[in-house]
This record gives sequence, structure tokens and C-alpha cells, in this order.
Amino acid sequence: MFARSSSRIFNVINISCIQSRSARAWVRKPLGSPMAKSKMFRIAPKKFIPADEKAEVKRLYDNYFHQMKSLRHYFFEQSLEQAESGEVAQMKHRLEEEEHIRLMEENRLENEKTAKLREEKLKIQAEKTRENILASLINKEEETRLYEIQIEAFLEKQKTTPFIQAENIEKAIEEALANPVDFNFAIDLDGYVYRGRETAIEKIPEEERERLRSN
Amino acid sequence: MASAIPTFTKIGKVIRLNKHGCTNRPFYHIVVQKTKDNFDGPVIEQVGSYDAMPNSQNEKLVAVNFERVQYWLAQGAGMSNPVAQLLGLSGFLPNHPQTLIQSWKNRREPPRERKLQPIKGIAPPLDNPKI
Repeated sequence: MFARSSSRIFNVINISCIQSRSARAWVRKPLGSPMAKSKMFRIAPKKFIPADEKAEVKRLYDNYFHQMKSLRHYFFEQSLEQAESGEVAQMKHRLEEEEHIRLMEENRLENEKTAKLREEKLKIQAEKTRENILASLINKEEETRLYEIQIEAFLEKQKTTPFIQAENIEKAIEEALANPVDFNFAIDLDGYVYRGRETAIEKIPEEERERLRSN
Repeated sequence: MASAIPTFTKIGKVIRLNKHGCTNRPFYHIVVQKTKDNFDGPVIEQVGSYDAMPNSQNEKLVAVNFERVQYWLAQGAGMSNPVAQLLGLSGFLPNHPQTLIQSWKNRREPPRERKLQPIKGIAPPLDNPKI
């Protein structure tokens, strides 16, 4: 009457994909099926428990659960204490301590090594910086010396150039008027001056040759 | 309290009875298992046994490893009712209410008919076969 819609095999309910020719185990009534005629107007008998018995039962259970809760707490705390102080824990503690000491020792040695290397490096670097500083100081001194020499040369030059002072001014004007400068001349690549109409230096006699020199 | 929190989370493990033995001769192992596993599935640890058939001295023998039970309870394992009752009767845990309820019900109602006869030996026969 009902199709093979539900089956419980391998702990899985309601899968009909697994075929079998033997008798099927009845797991549950198919979900869409109607209630049987014998069960239609059945009323399940409800157990009557008097109130005082119910109260007694409740009291017993409340007490029991309360006690169990506290016992579980207690067991848990005991387990924690044992974990701290038991044999296994002590051995673990000891091993950890040894490991810690060993590692600290290793660390110390390593630190010493690196400290030595660092010191050497620092020494070398200190030497280098000292040399650098010395060299730069010497350079600085050289430069200042040269600078001073240049300044002196410049000042000398300036002093020797004929500046026209306030008392020389009339004399300078008379001199300038007396000696006019003629710029109508050409110049050679070698520096020879051509004032006239000659274009080759050989044409000008030796005594009248002028030459500008770059000092 | 910091200790309160770990004991109340469910760890998915349970101390319960696994029925072994043969037809008409049940024998239970008290066992720690994952809740999801079947009775014949993998067992984490066996923590005792319970023989439901009374022996020649009219005793039902129960063996329990209390140290391991305490360990697992500390870890947060659950317990089935029968195991709780057995441990209560042994004195390790407080008496389960079910034992008291069953005892006063036994005193009230007449005992039912049994298929199996109790073993007759040196000890006197059972008064109340429900125990």
C-alpha cells in the first residue's frame, strides 16, 4: 500500500536509493499517510501524579542537580590543581626549566660573540671617521690659506690699478682730453692691431707693429 | 568564576552503558564515548562494567574506575541515567532521584510477572524482583 519511501539504513532515514530484495525494516509511517482506523479516536492515557508526589519529585531532582553541578565544579578544580602539581606536571616543569637555562646560556654566548664583532667594527669605523675628520680639517686649512692668498692678490691688484681719486679728477680730465683713444682698429687672431688700411702684418714695418697681449 | 565556564560547555562525550553479551544474557560495559557514536562504534575508554544477571550469591556485580570517571566528569562529559544511578548507589555521587522514586513505587505496586527465574543458591531468593 505504501511505497518504499522511507528506510533507515546506515543511520540515514528516508532514502530509497538503496535497493534490496529482502524484507524491509519498518522505520516509521510515511509522512503523508492518514491515521489508521483503529487509532483514529484513541486517547492516550495520561498518568495522574498527585501534587505532593510531584513536589517531592521536583525537590529531589532540584537537590540532585544542584549537588551534581557543585561536584562537577569541584572535579574541574581538582583536575586543574593536579595538572599543576602532579608528577607529569613536575617533570614537565623540570624539563622546561632545564631547557630555559640552556637557551639562556646559548643566548648569552651568542650575545658575547656579536658584541665582540660589533666592537671591532666600531673600532675600525672610529678610525675611519677620525682619518676623515683630519683630512677634512687639513683640506679646510688649505682652502682658507689659498683663499687668503687669492684675496691678497686681488687686493694688491685693486690697489695697483689707477683709480681716479677726488684730488686727481681734474688732472685725469685734462689727461683724457689731451690723449683721445681711437677705437677704430681691427685685430688679428695673433693679436696684431691694424689701425690703417693695411690687412697683412708683413706690410706694416717692424717699428710700428702693435700687439695686444692677454695678460 | 573562571572555573565555571569550561565545565558547562558540552564536549560531546558521554559516560553510558553499552550492551554486550548474548541473547537472554545481557552484559553492560560502562564506557566513555562520543554522543554521536553507536553502541558498537568507537569507544574512547572503558570505565567499568555492569552485569545485569545476578550471580550465585544473588549479587549484580558492578566495576567502576572512579579515578577515570572523575577525570571525565572534570572534562565535562555527560552521564546517562543508569550510569548516574549506579554511581549514586556506589556512593561516589549523590543518590539519583530515580532510585528513590523507583523504590517507593516498588513498595506501592505489586511486582509484575517475570519470565526469568531468579537463580537459587545459598542466599535467600529475591523478595522484590524489581530491584
